[in-house]
Amino acid sequence: MSKKMSLKTILLIFFVVELIIAFFFLGKTLHFGSQKDTGKKIWFEEKTETMNQEIDFDIQPDLYVKKNNVDEPWEFTYGSKWLYGKFVKMFGDGSAILNFRLWRMLLYLDIFIILVAAFIRAKSSKLPSKIQLIFEMIYGFIDDLVIETLGENRKHFTQFFFTIFLFIWLSNWTALLPIPGISEPTRNLNVPLGLGFMSIALVHFMSLRKRGIVDYVKGFCEPIFIMAPLNIVGEVSKVISISFRLFGNIFGGAIITLVVSSLTHYVIVPVGLNMFFTMFAGTIQAFVFTMLSLTYLSMEIVD
Amino acid sequence: MDPNTTQILAKGIAQGAAFLGAGICMGIGALGPGVGEGYTAGKACEGVARSPEQAGLITRTMLIGQAVSESTGIYSLVIALLLIFTT
Amino acid sequence: MVLEADILKVFLYTGAALSTGIASLSAGFGEGYAAAHTARSIMRQPNASSVLTRTMLISQAVVESGAIFALVISMLLLFGGFTQGGADWAKAFSLLGAGLAIGLGCTGPNFGSGYSAARAIEGIGRNPSKSGRITANMLIGQAITESGTIFALVVSLLLLYTVPAQMSEPSLAKMIMKACAYITAGIVIGIGTFGPGTGIGYVAGKANISISKHSKDQGVITRTMFLGAAVSESTAIYALVISFLLIFVS
Repeated sequence: MSKKMSLKTILLIFFVVELIIAFFFLGKTLHFGSQKDTGKKIWFEEKTETMNQEIDFDIQPDLYVKKNNVDEPWEFTYGSKWLYGKFVKMFGDGSAILNFRLWRMLLYLDIFIILVAAFIRAKSSKLPSKIQLIFEMIYGFIDDLVIETLGENRKHFTQFFFTIFLFIWLSNWTALLPIPGISEPTRNLNVPLGLGFMSIALVHFMSLRKRGIVDYVKGFCEPIFIMAPLNIVGEVSKVISISFRLFGNIFGGAIITLVVSSLTHYVIVPVGLNMFFTMFAGTIQAFVFTMLSLTYLSMEIVD
Repeated sequence: MDPNTTQILAKGIAQGAAFLGAGICMGIGALGPGVGEGYTAGKACEGVARSPEQAGLITRTMLIGQAVSESTGIYSLVIALLLIFTT
Repeated sequence: MVLEADILKVFLYTGAALSTGIASLSAGFGEGYAAAHTARSIMRQPNASSVLTRTMLISQAVVESGAIFALVISMLLLFGGFTQGGADWAKAFSLLGAGLAIGLGCTGPNFGSGYSAARAIEGIGRNPSKSGRITANMLIGQAITESGTIFALVVSLLLLYTVPAQMSEPSLAKMIMKACAYITAGIVIGIGTFGPGTGIGYVAGKANISISKHSKDQGVITRTMFLGAAVSESTAIYALVISFLLIFVS
């Protein structure tokens, strides 16, 4: 056998394994840990949830817990009872599990990004390694974009846009990890909304600094001052459109993946769906978000 | 039905119809200006590409043209607001 | 005046079908238009076929996002558990309105997005060396074209989740009024984004083809495109305002 297996071979092996699993274990779920009654480490269970429940559990876990009167809801957070209690105190019964998941994912992601950055910085050399090369390529690409749109003398914005791109990109790609309890942070509306608000706030701050307060306020009263409320609505709609685009795409991809995989009993199809929605659409949406906030900024500060 | 109930019902139906009218007015009213302004801006883009040194003039003309085409959209908005708030 | 579950299902299923049905129709047109122009450009420039195909796939993924939003709303209507707990006529009409909003609302943006993609691909076919710039401009153009779809998505989600399942003080007159208001909120954002969507798509398309012809003036062309698109979008924002007023103030 040659050293490098071709993609076709890998896919074929994958297909056969999936078919075998599907044939023997259709309608069952695999569990790890220790079962309460028998003490087994790995076991199969008949699946009892309907698709409706599965969707509820995935996108509204708190509603699921309330509807089914679950005794120990902290088990769904894959965390401790103490932490769950803290979250219930902070956010109430209605969104504790969702917030728990979100905060944990954000923490993991931030730690991961910081570690990767520290690792690359420590290992950086004139002869770049593969991982350094990848990140340098992305940085160079965004640097070119910033210079092209904002000009050579505003190069310092690259760091901001690079961070935004990297954060959104990596958070979209977390869906590839097949670990229960892990979901994309961008699937929660709060994250895209916060990012969008941050970008537009930066645009307005830079505009205010460049034009001065009088001209800035005058900008809202165009063409006549009666239109000022509608201009303000237009500015708010920028935040809405930039963040709901990201949210809708990621959330939509997640729901479609869930429903179609549930219909096909998780055989083969999730791979293709993940490749399209997570890897392809996730990258494009991260790029679109960066590009749009960059262009909004250039509209205000480049003359 | 006694006349009092009929009167209340009629008021409700009238209000509902006003809402329906407001929606349809704004919805269809947004169609024309949207396409028209888009066409203007598209041609302006072409113009700017051909003679970039005239970009300021072209942009100003574009904005004036769009402001005029916008006016029918604003009329629809006014009528829709009137229908929502004054009936 | 709580509805029976079967009658509520009529509204849910109709809304779900209309939403995905109308959205797929327009997404199909848009993507097909882009694909047709890819084929034409490859016929002219067989050497650039790989970059053309890549651009086509990227643009189609963006055009598709409108249909994906509609599919999400359909799924939520079908599996979101709205039949449990009962609902009155106003809520039933708001569910139908949610389907109509996203279904109609992504029609115009999908046409526009497809047009913009086709012009970008035509431009790359003429000037393959500038494919990076044209693709970047195409993505921005499609993104601002799709903002109409996103307004419609927001209205749909509001109609699904902020409208109470049962009114606090039900009366027949109030029920008729509310039902009219909710379904109109869906229709107004649905029809209202059609014009701006196609218009901004036209702007973005012309900007793409202009960049392929005069690529050194990319900055000023993109800025003109943005300015023009922002003004064209204002009517969509008016429709959004009316829609919000109908949901919250009525």
